Amino acid sequence: MKIFIFHLMPYANLDMSYAEKYRAAWVVLPNTYFDPKQGHELYNRYLDELELAAELGFDGISVNEHHQNAYGLMPSPVVTASALSRRTKNARIAILGNAFCLREHPLTLAEEHAMIDCITGGRLITGMVRGIGAEYFSLGANPAYSHARFQEAHDLVVEAWTKPGPFSFEGNYYHFDYVNLWPRPFQQPHPPIWAPSTGSTETIEWAAHPSRKYVYLQAYSPTQSVARYLNYYRECAQRTYGYTASSNQIGWSTPVYVSDTDEKAREEAKPHIEILFNKLLRLPFEMLFPPGYLSAKSLKNMRSHKHSVSGQEHTIDTLIRQGIIVCGSPDTVRRQFTETHRLLGFQNLLCLLQFGTLPRDLTEKNIRLFAQEVMPALQVLTDKEYAGLQVQAAE
Amino acid sequence: MLGAEWPAKTRQREKPLQHSEIDVRGCKINVRRGGKGEPLLFLHGAQGLNGHEPGLEALTADFDVIAPDHPGFGKSDLTSAVEDVGDLALFYLDLLEAMELRCVHVVGQCIGGWLALEIAIRNTERIKSLILVNSAGIRVKGVPRVDMFVCSEDDLLKFLFAAKGGTEWLQSWRASPDMEDIYDRNRAAAARYSWAPRLCNPKLDRWLHRIDVPTHIVWGNEERIIPREYATALKDGIAGATLATISECAHMPHIEQPRAFAGEITKFIRSAAR
Repeated sequence: MKIFIFHLMPYANLDMSYAEKYRAAWVVLPNTYFDPKQGHELYNRYLDELELAAELGFDGISVNEHHQNAYGLMPSPVVTASALSRRTKNARIAILGNAFCLREHPLTLAEEHAMIDCITGGRLITGMVRGIGAEYFSLGANPAYSHARFQEAHDLVVEAWTKPGPFSFEGNYYHFDYVNLWPRPFQQPHPPIWAPSTGSTETIEWAAHPSRKYVYLQAYSPTQSVARYLNYYRECAQRTYGYTASSNQIGWSTPVYVSDTDEKAREEAKPHIEILFNKLLRLPFEMLFPPGYLSAKSLKNMRSHKHSVSGQEHTIDTLIRQGIIVCGSPDTVRRQFTETHRLLGFQNLLCLLQFGTLPRDLTEKNIRLFAQEVMPALQVLTDKEYAGLQVQAAE
Repeated sequence: MLGAEWPAKTRQREKPLQHSEIDVRGCKINVRRGGKGEPLLFLHGAQGLNGHEPGLEALTADFDVIAPDHPGFGKSDLTSAVEDVGDLALFYLDLLEAMELRCVHVVGQCIGGWLALEIAIRNTERIKSLILVNSAGIRVKGVPRVDMFVCSEDDLLKFLFAAKGGTEWLQSWRASPDMEDIYDRNRAAAARYSWAPRLCNPKLDRWLHRIDVPTHIVWGNEERIIPREYATALKDGIAGATLATISECAHMPHIEQPRAFAGEITKFIRSAAR
């Protein structure tokens, strides 16, 4: 199994009383709540944490994109990935993901990713996402065209990376007379593409397609949903496309906290993880799922199953019970991942080891303990330990 | 303003609207139609139609009321040919042709008003008059608007209705699973056509001079989604346009003040549009 550390770079210094005045930490939260001096401290601290993980032998370090919010301060993950590219030597640098389709000109991102890939000698992983619903408010992109633009932006970028230029691209949303990327990516034919999602069946079907076979990465969700969507990928590959998906195509992303004992882990993580879910991830349904962002079928699904991790008040106990986070002693965490791997067979694991307001010292302790006590036992897991597709997946 | 004392004789002439399906170049459109008189095309807004629009029934007393679901709304097909309100305008010129409608009074509310404007700047050959009700379409810079997409459902009802009629209206969408699906479908279609720039075509005001039919503007005076300044700007932009406001009314005059809504339209058509 490949183990990645994942960072959201939250604005941990947020005055949490904001919640009395504003309905979300996104879109409508005034940016006067952001103090650039504290932002400077936080960015550098967070980059240190990712660099530490690279030194400790994580297979990869991972960043992502969110706009106009306190939950994650990376409107451009290209900036953080660039900062990391010269400070690390072996770890994969994974941008999970970039929302190419939010841009009027996705080629600028294609160029930047190719640059990072060249600078790092082929250590880049490119995640392609649509961006969450709130992004469609913040950047004024039309959610009703999100799926179609996502697919077309992907086609444009892959062609730009692989087809000799100059050529013209004639799409429905993107039109370019001169596509001729300098530089071309280091990895051939192009950097691995991953599809992170909170569980859109359309995205899973798209990622599993035999022409792509992209890694599907399930963002943190209750265990039930993780199982449902990861199994759906495998079922979709089998039933719709007639091939057996490799476990290397399956990934799971989850917050993790390790301490000496279960009790201590719970106690230390509690305030910080609850801030992540109850304050930073505070997003009303209307912002999370703007009209047209989900297909009619997915919208109904989302309503009836309440798959979403936001929109409910969480405690650390509900988070642990639902499997949204993994928290405990090294032994507990190791056993839980090993058991979940046996059932779901993901060969890629993304661990969010800093979350919410988790301070520097606890974050560092968490990263070190995970790297020493948990990671080695997981890195040796292979497809052999996977029990195979057991349960009925999502329809 | 015509209010509660709506003449009984007029009321007797009102007819329920009947559904039919018409085909516009392969796209099936659900049309409600009822009443006798000159044809009146009602172009609905972002909220769509669900049969609980007493203002439309009131108009059937004097007009042949034709109220289609726009492509992607209600029970009409979605067509990839129509991606924005400009496309929608050309689609409706095809629809007028397909239905062989001439001398039509076009009434548009919200994005339906925007659509009426986009049709009229392109071609008014088949249009006799234009009535813009709480109309989207233009952009008046510096006037704050509330956003019907980002707000909660509770706030949405407050923005749509001045009084508490919104709860009943929302209930009518919850009447059956089918209606609930159409409610979601309408929101998605509204986003498709009006998300960005929100509820407007920033270039539209450059072409308002092309509107050469009598135009009346009707506005709920408690409107916040498209504030009153928009009504004034439209009046200033369209030669000869007149403006009337409806009190105790926000974004949905055809539902909240059906008598005043129908009264304003009828009065205007009887005088200016003759």
